[in-house]
Amino acid sequence: MSLAGRRVLVTGGSRGIGAATALAFAEAGAHVGFNYAREEDGDEAAATLAALRKTGATAHAARADVSSADAVASMLDEMRTALGGLPEVLVNNAAVTHDGLLMMLPEAAWDRVLEVNLKGAYLCSRVVLRGMIAARAGRIVNLVSPAAFFGKEGASNYAAAKGGLVALTKSLAREVARFGITVNAVSPGFVATQLVSDMSEAERARIQKDVPLGRFGRPEEIAAAVLFLASEQAGYLTGTTLHVDGGLTML
Amino acid sequence: MDAGALRTEVKELLATGLRLELAPSDIPDESPIFGDGLGLDSIDALELVVLVEEKFHVSIPDEEVGRQAFASVSALVQFILSERAR
Repeated sequence: MSLAGRRVLVTGGSRGIGAATALAFAEAGAHVGFNYAREEDGDEAAATLAALRKTGATAHAARADVSSADAVASMLDEMRTALGGLPEVLVNNAAVTHDGLLMMLPEAAWDRVLEVNLKGAYLCSRVVLRGMIAARAGRIVNLVSPAAFFGKEGASNYAAAKGGLVALTKSLAREVARFGITVNAVSPGFVATQLVSDMSEAERARIQKDVPLGRFGRPEEIAAAVLFLASEQAGYLTGTTLHVDGGLTML
Repeated sequence: MDAGALRTEVKELLATGLRLELAPSDIPDESPIFGDGLGLDSIDALELVVLVEEKFHVSIPDEEVGRQAFASVSALVQFILSERAR
């Protein structure tokens, strides 16, 4: 499957890995939609949308909270109109963090992280699957995390959501394989996004020491793995995770 | 469309859409569509959900509705008629 002319939806696409992925799809000639959740991210989303359109791609941005079934339904209606049909490729990238030690973690922080990071993937997948099953083709790529495999102190909610997403990836891959739909995950290691810029120098040095390749990843390097999994060449891969993490995990 | 014509259309959709090795007229009215009978499983049902939604403009949002709608060909015909009457 050449990506040219494909309809792609990237959730949480206004910045970071999501924006880099949306841009890479646009550069490959795909029609790209993305969403963002918060009103204050509107300017950022507008800038990303402009960058997508600059490539000549059809692109659309929607404001929607992926943890709400109603919001997901209207987002997909919007995308169907803007892109000319339901997405043929879905990238479940939207995620939030609310760190804290489990014993002291507010229930709302637990719920919110699970709702966006895990339930959001369920809600978006179940809508696009109707189009994919009708077409007997499709690609779903879920963004996960080394925390899903190693755990992470102070982020049990995030790790649980991402671990859940790995299990969802495998289960859904089994469910829809007979329709020619593949479901895979990409696990980015430490990537140079806002999160990393906010770290202290000491913390950055410690992390770089733990990564065999000795550096942070670039958002485009994660995007490249997502594009590969969405491509025709990846047709024999399903239910798996690509660890794009400089050798951090090696699973 | 009357129930008889709809019944014929539903059986044609089952036979061709799900690639059954069975003539539409050989599909029984009252046996379960999934499970035993036609040799279809619950994953095949996903495709039928999509086909039925597309062709008959009805919505089968979850398994509870699906179980009712796919109880038999007759049940599916009744389901489509009652959804359309809404």
